Amino acid sequence: MNMTSGPFDNAPRPFGTVLVANRGEIAVRVLQAAREAGLRGIAVYSDADAGSLHVEVADDAVHLPGASLAETYLNPEALISAAGGCGAEAIHPGYGFLSERADFALAVEDAGLVWIGPPSGAISTMGDKISARIRMLESGVPVIPGEELSVPDGADHLGALAACAARVGYPLLLKASAGGGGKGMRAVHEPKMLRTEYEAASREASAAFGDGTIYVERLLSGARHVEVQILADSHGNCIHLNERDCSLQRRHQKVIEESPSPAVDHQLRQVMGDTAVTAAKAVDYIGAGTVEFMLSPKGDFYFLEMNTRLQVEHPVTEMTTGIDLVQKQFEVAAGLQLGIAQSDVGMSGHAIEARIYAEDASKGFLPVVGRLALWKPPHGPGIRVDSGVRQGDVVTIDFDPMLAKLVVHASTRRAALRRLDAALADLVALGVTTNIGFLRNAAAHHAFASGSVTTEFLDSAPISEFAEPGADPAVLVAIASAAQRLGMERAPSDDASGSVDEHTGHSGDPFRTLSRSFP
Amino acid sequence: MDWSVGEDSRRYTAALNDSDGALRLSSVQHDGMELDSPEISITRDDHHGRLRVEIAGTPRLAHVAKVGDAWWIHLDGRIHIVRAHEPGSAGTEPAEGSLSAPMPGTVLEVHVKEGQRVRKGQTLVVLEAMKMEHRIQAPKAGEVTKLHFSEGDRVDMGEILVQIGD
Repeated sequence: MNMTSGPFDNAPRPFGTVLVANRGEIAVRVLQAAREAGLRGIAVYSDADAGSLHVEVADDAVHLPGASLAETYLNPEALISAAGGCGAEAIHPGYGFLSERADFALAVEDAGLVWIGPPSGAISTMGDKISARIRMLESGVPVIPGEELSVPDGADHLGALAACAARVGYPLLLKASAGGGGKGMRAVHEPKMLRTEYEAASREASAAFGDGTIYVERLLSGARHVEVQILADSHGNCIHLNERDCSLQRRHQKVIEESPSPAVDHQLRQVMGDTAVTAAKAVDYIGAGTVEFMLSPKGDFYFLEMNTRLQVEHPVTEMTTGIDLVQKQFEVAAGLQLGIAQSDVGMSGHAIEARIYAEDASKGFLPVVGRLALWKPPHGPGIRVDSGVRQGDVVTIDFDPMLAKLVVHASTRRAALRRLDAALADLVALGVTTNIGFLRNAAAHHAFASGSVTTEFLDSAPISEFAEPGADPAVLVAIASAAQRLGMERAPSDDASGSVDEHTGHSGDPFRTLSRSFP
Repeated sequence: MDWSVGEDSRRYTAALNDSDGALRLSSVQHDGMELDSPEISITRDDHHGRLRVEIAGTPRLAHVAKVGDAWWIHLDGRIHIVRAHEPGSAGTEPAEGSLSAPMPGTVLEVHVKEGQRVRKGQTLVVLEAMKMEHRIQAPKAGEVTKLHFSEGDRVDMGEILVQIGD
C-alpha cells in the first residue's frame, strides 16, 4: 500500500493515523474500524494491559507509564504526548475514561490533532446536568422536574438538601452533576434515607468524576429508558438513527439493550427522533451522540441526558440501520459531509445486545476475578461479538468487569430473542464466573419477552426468578471424574476462538454453532 | 476423589469403567447411598477441552477446564463448577456465620462494632471495588463476635471480614 494515500487525504481536516485513547472491547472495535477505513491505528496500554487484545490488533502501541488510571488512561498529557510520539494525527477517545472531558477535547485540538468527538462546548454544556437542562428547556425539549443542589464547602448541606428534596418531592433521584453510567446515582424513597444516600452518592461521584456535586430529580416510576442515536456533521446536517430501548437495568447499569423499542411506534419514533435532533442542534453538536429519554407509561417522554460520545450499545443501531457509527465518526471528524439524509435511514429487523460481565449474580452481582481458562464466543448468521478478551486472559479488579458484548440481529423481536438465547447458550466462558446464565434467564423472563419491562424491573424482581436451573449432580460428577481420568486439565495453550475448524478447515465458520457441530 | 457441585456442600463419589476407550458411569454415591443416574458414557473429543458425553443415549458436547481444584463444565448451555476434595476430608467452607470478602477491594465503611446485635440483611461493611460500592449484609441475625478490618484497609478475595455468632 502506498503510505502517502489515506482515505481522508483530500478531506478538510485530513488524518491518516488515529490513536485510540482507551482499552478493552471499545479500543478493539475502533482499531478494527480504523484498519477497515485504511487508517493506521495506534493503541495505548498501561502495564496491566501489555498483553491485552487491543494492543494485539493495533498497528502500533504506546506504553503509558504509571500504575494508576490517573497516570495512564485518564492522563490527558500522557495521551497527547503518546500521539505526538507515534505520528498520530487524530485521537478517538472511545467511551468512558476521557471521552466526555471537554478539557481533553480542547487540549487535543490545541495540540494540532483531530478530535474524533463533538466540540468541547457541546461536551461541557451536556456534561453538566444543570446547564444541559437549561439549554433543553430553552430549546423546547421536555425535561424531568428537578433542581441542582449547590452547597459551598463547610455549609449546612443537609438543610439545603432536605429543602431541595422537599421542593422536588419524593420519591427522588440523587444524581452526580458530572455523572453517568449509574455512578453517583441513588434513589431515595423517603426523607429518612436522604442523608445516607446523599453521602454515598456524593462520595461515589467524587471518586469516579472528581466532582461530588449532586443534583436532585423527581423519580419517574413505571418509565422506560429510550434513547435516540444521532449523527451530525460540521456542515449543519443532523439526523437520528432511531431509538434503542435500555429499560433492562440493574442499579442504573444497562444489562440488555435493543432496537427498535417495543414501546415505540412509528409516530412516536418520529417525534422522539426530531426532539433528539433539536437537542443536538441546541449545542451545535458534531459527530455521533445519544440523547437519552425517560418514556412514561402514558407515552410522554423527558430528556434525561445526552451522551456526547459513542455508546456501549451502539451495535444494535448498526445492526438495524446498516450504518457503521465509528466509520461515520471518522468521516465527520475529517470534515466530510454525512452523506446520509434522514430519509435514507432505514430500520431492518430487530437487534438485541447483552453485556457479558465478570460478576456473580448469585452473590449480589459482585465483580469477580480470575483467568479465562476457556473462552469460545458463539458465531453464526446474525451474531456479533464485540470482545476485549481472549482465552487465557486474566480478569482483574483494575478495570471495568465487562468482558464482551453479544449482539444478535433477526427479522423480528421474537426471532432475535431466540437467537440471543441460543448464542448465550453457545458462549463458553470457563474459569471466571460471568452473568451469562443470568442474561439467559432475564431475556427469557415473561416480562422482558413480552416487551413490558420498566427501568425498575430488575431491581424489584426477586433474584430467585433468575436463578440458574439445577442440573443432575450425577451427570456433573461423572463429567468431572471423567475429565480428571482423561487428563483434560492440560489446558490447550494455542487454542483460541479463531482456531481452525477440524471439519471445514476454516476459521470461525459462520454456519457452525456449538450445538450443531456434533457429528 | 470426592466431589461437590456448585455451592452445595454435599459430597459425591463416582465410579467409572473403561470400556473400549469410553468411560461408563457405574455408580454415583452420596454418603454411601447410591444415586439414581442415567446411563452415561464419556469419551475425549480431539477438539481442545471437549468431552463427548452420551446421556441416556443422547449425545452432547461438554467443554471442561480445570481451575485450581475445580472443574468448570459447560453443558447444554449452562456452566457448572464441580470441586474436587481429598476423600473423606471435612467440608472446607468457612465457619458458620463468618463473612468473607467476595472480591478484592478496599473497606470503605464499617457500620457495626464488636458485640453489637445485628438483624438479618443489615449492612455491616461497605467495600469499594472497581469504583463501585458494595454492601456486605448480615446473612442472619446475631451478634458481631469479631471484626477483622477497619476503614481504609485493603482486603483480598476470600478474607474473613466479620464473624457473627448467635
